Amino acid sequence: MKNLVKYLSLLLIFVFVLAACGKPTADEPSVAEEPEVVKEPEVAEKLRIAIVSPSEYNDFAFTQSIYDAMTLFETTHDIEWAFSGMMFNVDDAAAALRDYAAQGYQLVIGHGSQYGSSMQEIAPDFPETSFAWGTTVETFGQPNIYAYEAASHEGGYVMGVMAAMLSKTKVIGVVGPIETGDAKLYVDGFVAGVLATDPTINVRVTYIGSFGDIALAAEAAETHLAAGADVMTGTAQMVVGAIGKCEEAGAYWFGTQAEQSTFAPNTVVASQVYHWEVVLEDMVARRAKNQLGGEYFLINLANGGQVIAFNENVTIPAEVMEAAQATIQGIIDGTITINLP
Amino acid sequence: MKSRLGQIIDAFLPLFATLAALLVGAIMLIALGVNPLVAYQALLQGAFGSKNAFAETLVRATPLLLIGVGICIAYRGNVINIGGEGQMIMGALVGAYIGVTLTNFPGWLNITLGLLGGVVAGAIWGGIPGVLKAYFNVNEILSTVMMNAIAVQFKNYYLTGSLMDPSQADMASKIPQSARLEEIFRLPRLWQPTRLHLGSLIAVILAILVYILLWHTTTGYRIRAVGQNPHAAKYAGVKVKRYIVLALLLSGALAGLAGATQVYGVNYRMITDGSATGFTGGAGFNGIVAALFGQLHPILTIPASVLFGALIVGANAMQRVTQIPSALITALNGLVVVFVVSSDYWRIRRQRRRVSTDDSSDEESYLQSGDNSRTTGEVTP
Repeated sequence: MKNLVKYLSLLLIFVFVLAACGKPTADEPSVAEEPEVVKEPEVAEKLRIAIVSPSEYNDFAFTQSIYDAMTLFETTHDIEWAFSGMMFNVDDAAAALRDYAAQGYQLVIGHGSQYGSSMQEIAPDFPETSFAWGTTVETFGQPNIYAYEAASHEGGYVMGVMAAMLSKTKVIGVVGPIETGDAKLYVDGFVAGVLATDPTINVRVTYIGSFGDIALAAEAAETHLAAGADVMTGTAQMVVGAIGKCEEAGAYWFGTQAEQSTFAPNTVVASQVYHWEVVLEDMVARRAKNQLGGEYFLINLANGGQVIAFNENVTIPAEVMEAAQATIQGIIDGTITINLP
Repeated sequence: MKSRLGQIIDAFLPLFATLAALLVGAIMLIALGVNPLVAYQALLQGAFGSKNAFAETLVRATPLLLIGVGICIAYRGNVINIGGEGQMIMGALVGAYIGVTLTNFPGWLNITLGLLGGVVAGAIWGGIPGVLKAYFNVNEILSTVMMNAIAVQFKNYYLTGSLMDPSQADMASKIPQSARLEEIFRLPRLWQPTRLHLGSLIAVILAILVYILLWHTTTGYRIRAVGQNPHAAKYAGVKVKRYIVLALLLSGALAGLAGATQVYGVNYRMITDGSATGFTGGAGFNGIVAALFGQLHPILTIPASVLFGALIVGANAMQRVTQIPSALITALNGLVVVFVVSSDYWRIRRQRRRVSTDDSSDEESYLQSGDNSRTTGEVTP
């Protein structure tokens, strides 16, 4: 026991010495103060935005899409922003949303459709703060809640057209999380795109019942590949497992939400990338005119909120590329109507 | 005297383990360029620094306490319940179902039935592995874990189906969540305007009742007797199988109540992201650590749960202040779990060593006194 105490004391001293030498982080907020009383005029002039999201910032999917958007938004706007990821537990997220609002962040974004109840609960307590959440259209009639949504079926449809043209086995696999939100929209759009191009193709759709289970997504992908799939897609943060399996099998993959070609450069043909800057721009502009919420925004192909990023490392046949561009244009100008189930 | 000191040190061993984990975490923080003193100050501030922070800590500690106390019962009966997550989910599912369907009932009755529904659901979910263990010798670690997986599928099935909020069912988003409980069907808040609710008080009362059950009733004595030595208990006429089932059943019931209180006191609805932890926040597993921290004693589990609640709430606050990657918070919580669980192994080893030392010193005094009661098998009362 004496040894234990000795070692612990040594470790303690070592850490405190290191801590004393440690470089303080820039702009460290004073934690001794009550968050409610943080009122610094020079900071107040800078718009402060906080993001709470269910997974980590580099998930190659939904969370990365907002993180990348904020990184870009920061380059063109005078803002200060904070980020909390891994808030898959709604309780933790609610505490984070409330805390950011209490710290004086003017725009607090809950980037997940599971955060609606928390928004509804917290927003009335902070009438001067704008809250936003997505993907949804629901603002609960609250004057300080914005909502935002992605027309993910549009990019899904484009991907479906390309996938149908690239598939040689005429079997295509889809790995989805839960039939909800933009995930369901994307999958429905993708299937519609495939069948509009070639109705004989067998599209195998699996919802694994989880947004985060990478191993299960890999299992689902393996099953599709074993059934002959040579092209696949999927949505949400667990798809990295499925992409890995496609890479091993030499199958093509179509991504959505964030740029996924950096994860598997020779496998991902194209990604539908969400540019939430479009929505952020709208919200910040409204807030500047003292409209704190009560409106919902949409990103789509037409307003540049959704962009199809083609992977230059994968050779895409000219006719497939032409069809993709024509489909994008058709969706934007309204000549193509996507019939969802 | 030396033995008493050893016992005191043993009691504080989990605390040392937590400090050691935080020290290792400090090294990680330094590697990320963050001053650990600032970070841990934020942790403390986030957990205890204000009325709201302290209330959040207690709210977070509530399911940990209920599950931890259940773990104490199971452990005393020498069965291991890893199924807290599943039992909590089933309790919440039944609680949410009652909450949104029995809307014609008065508020107090709806809440009571909802919580009792959670207790029954959790008890069934814990009782099944108990029966499998007692009558078919199925390893309860495996069966409780498997029951977790089944519970998650139940949750996903009902929240994307019949239990889905009707307003969501009509929308394209189709968020897998139950309808929100009306205000009269929510547990009263104890400390306005914070979220501290009646469930926290119920949990503390239950911890005391479980202590009385285990150490001051015949049933509790039998559970402990079965846990200590099932063969001796059987020889003494205790129905061993029945008490194995009872231990897991009670453990599950408390976890089920934890789930129902989350619905009635915190979230006012049930929601799924497909995983268990999306709803439970890992309370089913963290409750085990809280119980170990509390030396598997129901009363000691109360402060242990508060400490763990504080660590979870404070660590998240620390992330917000320092803006370190959120993954570090997961790592930090994991470190605490590993260190605390390891400290229990150390504690047991030390206890054994102490017992053997005591035995040898007894042996010496016996030889010196010439007492022959040991050799003749006499037992001192």
